[in-house]
Amino acid sequence: MSLMIKILFLAVSLSPALTLSTWGESLAWPLFGGIELLFDLNPISAFFLLLLALGAPLVALPMLRGAPDRPAYALYALLLLGMQLLLLAGDFIGFFVGWEIMTWSSYLLLLRSSRTDLEGAQSYILFNLASAFLLLAGILVFHSLTGDFRIQAIDQLGGPEPLALAVLFGLAFLIKVGTLPLHLWVPRAYDQAPDIFSAFLSALMSKMGVYGLILLATLFPEALSGLLGRLLNGPAAGYILAWIGVITSIVATFKAISQEDMKRLLAYSSIAQVGYITTAIGVGSSLAIGGALFQALVHTLVKLLLFITVAGIILQTGRRRFNDLGHLIDRMPISFLAVLIGIIGLAGMPPLPGFAAKYLIFVSLIDARWLLLLAAMLLSSTAAFIYCYKLIYAPFLGHANSPEAKTATEAPWPYLVPQVILMGLLVALGIFPGFGIQFLIDPVLTALGLAPIGAPSWGELATPYGGYDGVVLMTVFGTAFALVTGGFFLLRGRMRRAGSPYDLSYAGEVPTADTPLHYGAGMGRELRRIPLIGWILLHTTTGFLTGLTRQSLAAAGLLGGFYGRNPQTWILLAVLLFALALTLVTLTGGAL
Amino acid sequence: MHAIVDSLAMIGISYVMGFLFYGFYRQFNARVQRRWGPSLWQNFFDNMKFLLKTETLTHGPMFFLGPMIIAAGAITTVLFVPFLKDSDWLQGFSEHGNLILIIYLLVVGPLGNALAVGSSGNPFGVMGVTRGLTRLMGLEVPFFLGLALVMLQHETTSVHAIMAAQDGLAQWNLFTNPIAFIVILLPFIASQNASPFDVVGAPVEVYAGPRVEFGGRLLGLLMTQNMMMTVAKLVLVVDLFMGGAGNVPILILKAFSLFLLTASISLVFPRLKTEQTVDFFWKVPLGLGVLGVIATVWLPWGA
Amino acid sequence: MYHKSECEGFQCEQRMLEESLGQENAQTGLVDRLVGWLRQRSLFVLAYGTGCGAIEMRPLMTSRFDAERFGIIGAPTPRQADVLVISGYLALKTLKRVIRSYEQMQEPKYVIALGSCAINGGMYWDSYNTIKQLDHYLPVDMYINGCMPRPEALIEGFAALQKKIGRGEPSGFKRYRENIDWYKANQRRVLGENMPPDYTYDWYHAGGVA
Repeated sequence: MSLMIKILFLAVSLSPALTLSTWGESLAWPLFGGIELLFDLNPISAFFLLLLALGAPLVALPMLRGAPDRPAYALYALLLLGMQLLLLAGDFIGFFVGWEIMTWSSYLLLLRSSRTDLEGAQSYILFNLASAFLLLAGILVFHSLTGDFRIQAIDQLGGPEPLALAVLFGLAFLIKVGTLPLHLWVPRAYDQAPDIFSAFLSALMSKMGVYGLILLATLFPEALSGLLGRLLNGPAAGYILAWIGVITSIVATFKAISQEDMKRLLAYSSIAQVGYITTAIGVGSSLAIGGALFQALVHTLVKLLLFITVAGIILQTGRRRFNDLGHLIDRMPISFLAVLIGIIGLAGMPPLPGFAAKYLIFVSLIDARWLLLLAAMLLSSTAAFIYCYKLIYAPFLGHANSPEAKTATEAPWPYLVPQVILMGLLVALGIFPGFGIQFLIDPVLTALGLAPIGAPSWGELATPYGGYDGVVLMTVFGTAFALVTGGFFLLRGRMRRAGSPYDLSYAGEVPTADTPLHYGAGMGRELRRIPLIGWILLHTTTGFLTGLTRQSLAAAGLLGGFYGRNPQTWILLAVLLFALALTLVTLTGGAL
Repeated sequence: MHAIVDSLAMIGISYVMGFLFYGFYRQFNARVQRRWGPSLWQNFFDNMKFLLKTETLTHGPMFFLGPMIIAAGAITTVLFVPFLKDSDWLQGFSEHGNLILIIYLLVVGPLGNALAVGSSGNPFGVMGVTRGLTRLMGLEVPFFLGLALVMLQHETTSVHAIMAAQDGLAQWNLFTNPIAFIVILLPFIASQNASPFDVVGAPVEVYAGPRVEFGGRLLGLLMTQNMMMTVAKLVLVVDLFMGGAGNVPILILKAFSLFLLTASISLVFPRLKTEQTVDFFWKVPLGLGVLGVIATVWLPWGA
Repeated sequence: MYHKSECEGFQCEQRMLEESLGQENAQTGLVDRLVGWLRQRSLFVLAYGTGCGAIEMRPLMTSRFDAERFGIIGAPTPRQADVLVISGYLALKTLKRVIRSYEQMQEPKYVIALGSCAINGGMYWDSYNTIKQLDHYLPVDMYINGCMPRPEALIEGFAALQKKIGRGEPSGFKRYRENIDWYKANQRRVLGENMPPDYTYDWYHAGGVA
């Protein structure tokens, strides 16, 4: 019986893949009053459906372990249904319905974790409801502009309505991707969700916000440039969005460095990585959108890999803090490799596809002549090395710091299979960035009316600014590595392994098991001495919001001061103001 | 066949240039301090001494692989930097790469090695790695911004194209884009791990550093790759700002004059702490870079 | 008056050890000499400031005497060092650390003992907590006597060590490895229970295979 349920569940998790491969023509479903629900698969939604199709079974596989958790299975199926509705919707009604189903089913799934506290659950549902209501308000504005719910470009520019539309939709989607200062729910939810489900939240659900942002740009003729004109070589509205994205990544990166818990670190890193996507969408050129999509793809793969691996570690050790782990490299070698590949992708180092995404975004920033943004983004992307290193050092290297870490064994196979698949995908995509561009990115760009980037061959990433060849790069590096390692091994002389983990050069002293040798959580603490970082880490977003509240209250108080107890005072003020206005009108000849 | 001979030649040239330059640096340093200093070959002897050690201690497989990764990274970097301009030789695989790729390749090796340092289990080593990553965070921002000014100027990321655009002395980016050069100069010194930004891998006196556990032949390999990497970075800056070189003697001459400049700067300043380094980079070179961006991009004559 | 013509007691033990060593490796091949020539040009010194002699190491390294011109330079950790300089008297407490550091150095490694205290105890000849003859606990390659020896003398000692290395002669670390039990017994005699852990040397018994 339970086996049947599990097989059924796995089949359900394959449904996005099935939808993607078998979807025929568009589907219309008449509703009341001439309005109809429209479902269609265009290249943009196909790209995000592909991410879903890829991720859903990989997350479902570890969920199969142990006794079947039927409510969770049902909610997961509902969640998949909602997300497919959202992606396939050709009008905003279907979109909104899908959005709501996604919000509620994920909320209920989140509640199933024993670690979820009231604060985490509340912030999750409040932020996501706010997002949904902003979306609803935006949809109404959209309807008033076009008289239709169909997702299409509006004709009218100018006037306050398009701006209101952009702000409402923008806020709704920025909450979903977790942009500062609207990210408060993200670290809590990712941290407290069931360990496997965090992978789904970070890798796939945040991408729905990205999908929304890309959709938002298509609502305006000339995309973002139509909104506020152009700045340097890019859209001015996008410039604001891009700075929002970059500031998000910088702050989230430093927050990630200072975390002491694996899942919270990954949550902040997720905010930072999606910040890059926001930036790239702000730039809005073909290279930038290409980069954003590529980054979305890579981030999906990487975060699935990392969250599933971390879930495996937590399952085997029961510990999630960096201080309590250590030296798992010998006991969990496959997990080590998975985290290694994951952080190389996260940091955007060359052989893996993270670099291709970063490269496209960097080049697009140079192309738009937004160099200050480039510098700021580079700051966050370099600082990311530190938390990447922390993520691999603290659990896997160093010294085991708890009894569980000393006896842990490799994660069970339902965790390992997705890891191996994802590692393979990442490496393959790293060697063949041109393949990703040609078959995954270019159709979307064409559908968006942008110039496709194109690829001369599967291995090559080519832009007008130059490119690189993944196959050559991997071959050169691999050959050099093989030759150096082989040569060194042959000529190694007497090489021996240290007789004890405490055989360390420790200034002549002999460290013992009681010596605090694991650097784990302390790593990055000294960064606070750098003024900028110290300032960022000293201030929390909650503090920022509290300050904002205080300022608003103060402003309201100031305004209230005008309404003194004595009515004569403010009548006098009103008269004076009226007189001043009249004088001005007279002086300027009535042309006010 | 051509590719293999070419690659070997590049690796050889970068190694020989590397130890001779370092030997010169130690001589120069000594003379400034009124000493005689070691011979020009001293770094070669040091390196050979380590490669000929009979005993090498490892702390597990990852500890062994780290130096291999960093050496492979150094070789790859060398092969992706074009050494000569308008020549079939000493090009390596630079046709298939670009400037941003090279900047990232410079970091691959050290990160690989950081894994080895971590797996040694020595907290002093990890402390050194964290310092290194912190310094990297400081220097990379102005360094990349300066190079981005050059990339913007030529509208390409290809080192070949940037090199080809600098025909004569007057077209050298050193003269057409001096702000960019000034912006990258100090971060460049830091990326060479030279004084005054050398607290990370402090050569002689600071116990905590990434190399604390490395000895024997592994340390020899680390020294070898360090020398090659130094030359690769020098050649890269020569390519970008000094118009590249048509043949090997000119390449050596240009790289040497650049090296002389950086060495002179690093000899006379006392060492900074890591956080002072980062703060300095974010204030002075980055501030200059921002001014450069405003001058060349924002102001009307720039566009 | 008692005149000593022959060694007695443990002194004979030491001479016997050295004699057997000298005969075994009397001849060195061309490769050995080439390797030795390369090695002698570069000596990294672990200047462990064990005693008052450490004060002489500073002028040796700085501008006045400039040991770097002979390729002699400091090393921060024992892993990178070739030469361990024992600068003067060794208290028992220090001895433990010195042994640990020496065993952590990578072969080939050399020991230079500096000052008369390391030879026979010097002015601490009757001290209860310093060792008298360093050679009983660590294999010394070169003694530099004096109290303290000036940097010129140190340079001469280093030069002599370099010559010895250049000839490719076997050095103290081999003696240490082959007679580890004897050295450990001596160390245990003075350190008692307070010995450094044995995982740094127990591979000597395995015949030195990795």
